Amino acid sequence: MKLLTFTFQGGERIGVLVDRDCVVDLERGAAWYLTDARGDPSAERAARILIGHDMVGFLKKGDPSLELARRTVDHIRTRIAKGNDDDVLVESGILLDLKQIRLKAPVPRTPTLISAGKNFSDHVGEMSTRNIPSRPVAFLKLPETITGPEDDIPYPKETQKLDYEVELAIVIGKPCVNVGKEEALDYVAGYAAFNDLSARDVIRRENENGILLMGKNFPGFSPMGPYLVLKDEIPDAQSLKLESRVNGEVRQSSNLGYMIFDISEMIAYWSQMGLQAGDILTTGTPKGVAAGRKEGQTPWWLKPGDIVEAEVEKIGCLRNRIVAENQ
Amino acid sequence: MKLFLGLAEGSLPHESRIFGEVEGRLVDFTCAYATYLSEVRGEREASYELASLYFPATISEFLENGESSLHALADLISFLRPRGLQDFRGPAGEKVVYDPAEIRFLSPLQNPHKTIVIGFSDNVVSEMRLKAEVPTGFHKLPRTFTAPRGPILWPKFSQEIDCDACLAVVIGNPGQRVPPEKIWDHVAGFTLLLDITARDISRREAVTKNHLLGKNFPSSSSLGPALLLKDPNVDVNGMEVALTVDGVTRQRFTPRQWVFSLEQVLAHWSALGLRAGDVFALGGSVALRTISPAPAVSLTPGCVVRCASSAIGELCHKVVREDEPRSARGKKTEVRDQKGLNVGR
Repeated sequence: MKLLTFTFQGGERIGVLVDRDCVVDLERGAAWYLTDARGDPSAERAARILIGHDMVGFLKKGDPSLELARRTVDHIRTRIAKGNDDDVLVESGILLDLKQIRLKAPVPRTPTLISAGKNFSDHVGEMSTRNIPSRPVAFLKLPETITGPEDDIPYPKETQKLDYEVELAIVIGKPCVNVGKEEALDYVAGYAAFNDLSARDVIRRENENGILLMGKNFPGFSPMGPYLVLKDEIPDAQSLKLESRVNGEVRQSSNLGYMIFDISEMIAYWSQMGLQAGDILTTGTPKGVAAGRKEGQTPWWLKPGDIVEAEVEKIGCLRNRIVAENQ
Repeated sequence: MKLFLGLAEGSLPHESRIFGEVEGRLVDFTCAYATYLSEVRGEREASYELASLYFPATISEFLENGESSLHALADLISFLRPRGLQDFRGPAGEKVVYDPAEIRFLSPLQNPHKTIVIGFSDNVVSEMRLKAEVPTGFHKLPRTFTAPRGPILWPKFSQEIDCDACLAVVIGNPGQRVPPEKIWDHVAGFTLLLDITARDISRREAVTKNHLLGKNFPSSSSLGPALLLKDPNVDVNGMEVALTVDGVTRQRFTPRQWVFSLEQVLAHWSALGLRAGDVFALGGSVALRTISPAPAVSLTPGCVVRCASSAIGELCHKVVREDEPRSARGKKTEVRDQKGLNVGR
């Protein structure tokens, strides 16, 4: 299943993608299913509590909520296939066209966004870092920087070196504390594409104090999505290809097999902090970023007007436009 | 005015209330405002709902309301002061006035968008290449906040835990790229923050400039005990913060000693946008610094840490090992405030 968060008629809703361009509003759909299939008199209240319209709240409720979501979608699919109820579903806002809605990041307000650094050996090389790290390294992206898969990104006045980084985002599905890498994937809810936008000159100044935070956290610096693809659709996330493009030109092209610390190892390590449902880890990025360009090569820094795409195989593609501020 | 966030007996976690300190006691401001609306404005039926709008379940939402909540607060205080708290109850006779021992206190801000502790990396400090020009900082995740009198859990992965006492500024009005001279328009008030670090982990992470595990484990931060709202009669630069461990004073500073001014720090971070409820903290380590680094205050399992400032109140925590059996962590970590009253969890 591909879960998503969207806005429709001013409200934020959570939904499921069906048939490539249709969206089921999960809360409304679940209330309809509980009434239609189970005659449940408390259907609306049950749907509001079990599904709701906040993705982290939904994930925190775990399997019962996920099961209700699956049954809702199956029931709706069956009824559509039989030719019944289309009009009812459309009129009650349960079945929507992708064109009618605006996508937000699937998890717009995670409590914790841990972003790996230096996790692809070729990227370590292009950034002139001396050593491959002996333990996972990561920094925090502030949740307020999360933005949608199609949103414009304002170019901050404080930088002249805006850079892109295509990554896979891993969304945690249940509390995990001190887990081993063998069981780590059991704790994953699903995956999304991610672009770790970075202001390299701001980062460089912070690095003089040995810190990394502000340069990664200007408004809109964490585009994510387009969907939260649940893990059952992705049996082997470790083999997925990544690509980034700016104005159609390929910049990064690699696959997650080249990670220094793989997905399971990352989850196991960061579970020392205690991870909860809705927390997100990102994998780090391969070579091909703007900061890796050498003297004599055309600079690759992003500028207002550029369209940057960050794509992960089987997950989806982010497509964000850089804009001058106040646009 | 000091605002506390807490749970009265029997409340579910989402049923927190804002309490204000009046005549040394704690008043449930939501219910008190409902009484005000009933009596003074004659709006009996809608009084509870309106009160929940201006005095919501969290201080963060109160701050997000901006001027409307601050005006409601001013009206409430004008109503309460001459009346006194004698026999003061809610519109339907509800209990509104509490003693501290009756409340389970929470950090006044549960989920700030940013909690930035200004500071520098260990290796920079030790190599003395410090440039006190850029007020860089670390973000403390909201999940690391322990309750104002809760335990500090010593994580299994560390052998070296220390702490830094900080005065924290809390943002009220949002803004971006605010110049230093306009910063005070965006300040809502002050609170205390205790920044706890697993120093051995942090030292190792400093090599790649990726501070995370060392500063963000469960109970590695404490925020509170109350939000002291901005007051023109309070000299912020003179607010002294003191840290004691087992009764011995280990840090003592005032904002005058900081290498960065508050205006400079907030103006710098306003490039990311200031939001209601954002927290920016500066501690003893940023105060005592001139050339030589200030040593962090090391902790040992079983010690009791207190961080206090007279206008704000006191944070008090016992340090316990993460793997201590429940019974040892339960009753025995009750902590008593300076009057000997048991105000522990």
